Amino acid sequence: MKLDTKQIVGISIGLLGLISPFFFQLEGLSDAGHVALGIFFLAAAYWMLEPFPIYATSVLVIFLQVILLSQQGFLFPESTAQYTPDDYTAFIGTLASPIIILFLGGFVLADAAVKYDLDRNLTRILLSPFGKKPGSIVLGLMVVTALLSAFMSNTATTAMMMTVILPIMARIGKTDPLRIGLSLCIPFAANIGGIATPIGTPPNAVVIGALSQQGINIPFGEWMILATPLVVVALLFTWFLLIKMFKPEAESIEIDMSGKFNTSGNAILLYIAFAATVLFWVTESFHSVKSAIIALIPVVFLTLSGVVTKEDIRKLPWEVLWLVAGGISLGISMKSTGLAEWIVGSIEWSSFGTISLLVVFAGVSVLMSNFLSNTVTATLLIPLAVSLATSGVAGEGFNLIIVSLVIGVSASMAMMLPISTPPNAIAMSTGTIQTSNMAKAGISVGIFGIILVVIYALFYWPFILN
Amino acid sequence: MDRKIFILVVEDELEVMEALVNDLEQFEGYFPIESANSSEEAKQVVEDIYAAGNEIGLVLCDHVMPGQNGVDFLIELQTNNQQHNAKKVLVTGQAGLEDTIQAINNAQLDHYIAKPWTKEQLEEVVTAQLTNYIMAQRYNPMQYMMILDSVRLLEYMRTHKITDH
Amino acid sequence: MPTKAFSDRQELLKFIRRAITESPELQQFLRTFSKDEVLFRQGDPIPHLYLLLEGEVILNHQREDGTELDLITLSPGHFIGLVAFTTGNHSLTTCRCTQNTIALCIRQDEYETIMTNHPKLSNPVQKLMLSNMADRFQKNVQLESKMNALNKQLEDEGEQLKEAYEQLESSHQKLVHQEKMATLGELVAGFAHEVNNPAAALLRSSEMLKSNFGEMHLNDAFSQIFKLGLESKPVSSTDIRTNMLQIQKQFPWVKERSQIRKLAQMPDEALALILKHKKKVGLDQMVQQFESGKFIHNIQVASERIANLVKSLKSYSRHDNNEWEEIDIREGINDTILILSNRLKYLNVELDLKEIPKTCGKMGELNQVWTNILVNACDVLPNGGDITIKTKAESDFKIVVEITDNGPGIPEKIIDRIFEPNFTTKNQGAEFGLGLGLAISNEIVRQHGGFIKVSNLESGGASFKIILPVRDC
Repeated sequence: MKLDTKQIVGISIGLLGLISPFFFQLEGLSDAGHVALGIFFLAAAYWMLEPFPIYATSVLVIFLQVILLSQQGFLFPESTAQYTPDDYTAFIGTLASPIIILFLGGFVLADAAVKYDLDRNLTRILLSPFGKKPGSIVLGLMVVTALLSAFMSNTATTAMMMTVILPIMARIGKTDPLRIGLSLCIPFAANIGGIATPIGTPPNAVVIGALSQQGINIPFGEWMILATPLVVVALLFTWFLLIKMFKPEAESIEIDMSGKFNTSGNAILLYIAFAATVLFWVTESFHSVKSAIIALIPVVFLTLSGVVTKEDIRKLPWEVLWLVAGGISLGISMKSTGLAEWIVGSIEWSSFGTISLLVVFAGVSVLMSNFLSNTVTATLLIPLAVSLATSGVAGEGFNLIIVSLVIGVSASMAMMLPISTPPNAIAMSTGTIQTSNMAKAGISVGIFGIILVVIYALFYWPFILN
Repeated sequence: MDRKIFILVVEDELEVMEALVNDLEQFEGYFPIESANSSEEAKQVVEDIYAAGNEIGLVLCDHVMPGQNGVDFLIELQTNNQQHNAKKVLVTGQAGLEDTIQAINNAQLDHYIAKPWTKEQLEEVVTAQLTNYIMAQRYNPMQYMMILDSVRLLEYMRTHKITDH
Repeated sequence: MPTKAFSDRQELLKFIRRAITESPELQQFLRTFSKDEVLFRQGDPIPHLYLLLEGEVILNHQREDGTELDLITLSPGHFIGLVAFTTGNHSLTTCRCTQNTIALCIRQDEYETIMTNHPKLSNPVQKLMLSNMADRFQKNVQLESKMNALNKQLEDEGEQLKEAYEQLESSHQKLVHQEKMATLGELVAGFAHEVNNPAAALLRSSEMLKSNFGEMHLNDAFSQIFKLGLESKPVSSTDIRTNMLQIQKQFPWVKERSQIRKLAQMPDEALALILKHKKKVGLDQMVQQFESGKFIHNIQVASERIANLVKSLKSYSRHDNNEWEEIDIREGINDTILILSNRLKYLNVELDLKEIPKTCGKMGELNQVWTNILVNACDVLPNGGDITIKTKAESDFKIVVEITDNGPGIPEKIIDRIFEPNFTTKNQGAEFGLGLGLAISNEIVRQHGGFIKVSNLESGGASFKIILPVRDC
């Protein structure tokens, strides 16, 4: 392993962060709190500067908590007045928490869907009603992309949809702004679509994971009721924005998608599994079988039937699960060591109004995730919001669920730069757009997103939750 | 990406080497080109490239050269642990069937270009082979979307679970 | 000797006859056989020893395949069944009388008694027996030497047959080869003609392009650098690499690697020109001008190469009409070298073609000789080496062409065999009919009244000396 300067700097800052709390006696913070703060600094530094892959940092975070903060660790084998250490299983158990299992189910489904071209064939069917007018085609592409990315990885959806629009691009004029509109509509719709379901994108998992630590369970269907209306509005706005900003010159465009649904036995099994799982998830509130339990259906069914093979299981994106688990486990020690409480207590929150607090959280979340991984953004911000809400210092309107949603949803509204999300990077890599095009449209969507999230947090979400 | 992926052109006739390198100019922004006039020189170049922490993605090699011929050179590359991943293309004006079979079997030749080539043909082969290389090495395909086969790279991203975090 | 043996036998026979006549006891042992009567058959045990007194018998042997062979005809005075009598074996032959015959017939177990009782008989019989034995031994010796002579003759005949076969094979090969070369010659002639036109057009167009392009330039810097491009020489990749480092220092503002490479292939004058004009004229344009000049130059060089190759191909194949004519052998050698330039390009070919008189020959066939020898030399020098071709006139009547290489030489074991038809040390992968073997070369030279002398040089390598007479047509 050869380290470059950037990595060395990142590693040093992280280590410095880890040990710095030991040199200061922070008033009101327990010894364990000092340790937790060090781990938090290290995690923040490594996640933000990325000297290591972020999933590696996540595992490191779990490991550090086990050896430093658990009952089985070096530092706190006995309970003290200030700190009752958790058993180490609390930390490593995050790797099997319900949200992780839910994601696992989603991965297996998505993997099988890609394997049998379900995504591509659905696109073909769903796009046909949108006609040939550029405007409606763009809308159609966005709707399909958002729908697919709600259940599949945003990145895989974008990659697939880009193969749909590349032939279109080849047919339209080199200077037609439609090219830019097309190139941007896919990643933007994929980013936004991910918000719609718990399994749509990892930040959602972080939100749900953090809430379940607080004993709050958000059923699959309820999340959709909360998030989907926002997704629809954001999608329509983005569509309108892109059509206005990049007015198409072409009169009509042809989408040539030939293909046939795979009708092999395995493919049929997959279709059934997919439909059944989604149906049970969406209707969780009626049958109250937990979505994580339902998520086991496709895993069991598809592996038993051999639709998903050992090779496929091996190739699942396990690192995403590690990443989310690391984020959840970080929340455990921040709470149990009193660190979260201490952070909350050290700021005079009541001087902010509820609205301005929501705006700040939404804004910071969008801003951070434009430059950082969306998941990391949610992971770093949510413990703060959770303790703020549970401590009650921020006032009545500052509901735990709502503020978590604000952070989670806002994290997916970042699409200003190519580095903001992998879908953006893919769109950029095709070379049809300039960073300035993306930045202009992305900033508009981001600002609109903040406003939208705050409005929903003030009116729609409290209405549904009550 | 700090590790550079080189294209190596091995050709003893200077005019032909120059023509090959000129036709590959568009790749240079992503894949720096190195050239050599003999197998012996090529081996030195390969060694230097790896010693500098870089690697070779594609070798375009002439067949008949003074000293070691192109097929033997490619076979030697193939047996080297470090370099056997590189895609190998034989560029030749006069290979007999036997040589070609030998090259395919022993050097795991990836492609075969007959002289005289056309620019389009050469670009097509190089694009396809470098795309194969990037995918085989599991490098991030995004930075090569503009120069290589974007549809195949996208398909690779779709099926290889590159995720959102 | 046979005469003496014969007279001895007659003498002894007389004594025996007398002894029988004198003793009635012995007469009972006389047996008379009529013509064609069989005494015993092959494979029978022979209980008697016969002494032939009158008439004649023939011994006949039946071979395993059933055919019969008459072995020997015995006259009076000969013993019959002597071998079987002494060894106790079964008879190897069948004994038949060819005329009425009288023989003394003694049973084996009676022999001793009779001989003891009749001393008069015993003495001549024993002598006769000895004479019989000596006679047979002598015959054996004669037979052996005759067989040897026969074998020798057979061997000689086989040898002659082999030689004839080889000659036949060689002329067959030559015929096939001639046929091949004639077809190839036609093909080549047609091809050369077809290629000549485009090659000429290419050459002319590049000349025109050169002058047109030269006049088009308004800018002095452009025309200067264009001219430098026209005169430029290709640069080796090693030099390019070295120069590229230099260029990066000299033109630090040039970032594109392909541009740096192009600059690295320019002569210093061109670089100086670019630096001099860098304020007024863009670097990219200057590079482009230089490259244009270079490309035109490359077209010219390449089309000249094609034209030259075609010329030599035509002349190489022109002579394949197999006519005897007055030829200058050096022309053929030069054509051959051009034709083989692809094989020879990695070798150092040294020519020392001294003035030689014209001679009568078939140019096309002689070219085959040079081709064969040169291709063989190429094969033994896979990693480069030297080839020397010399011609000289040793007298007014003798031309010597010597082709030497500095390869490993010809192993002493095979140096005498290399002219044999079908002799080869390499795979039969001859390239379009070239290098079909030294046997043909030898044959061709022989037909020209000359010969090839092969030897290894002391300094290593092989030497082929082709000695040809100067003849008029």
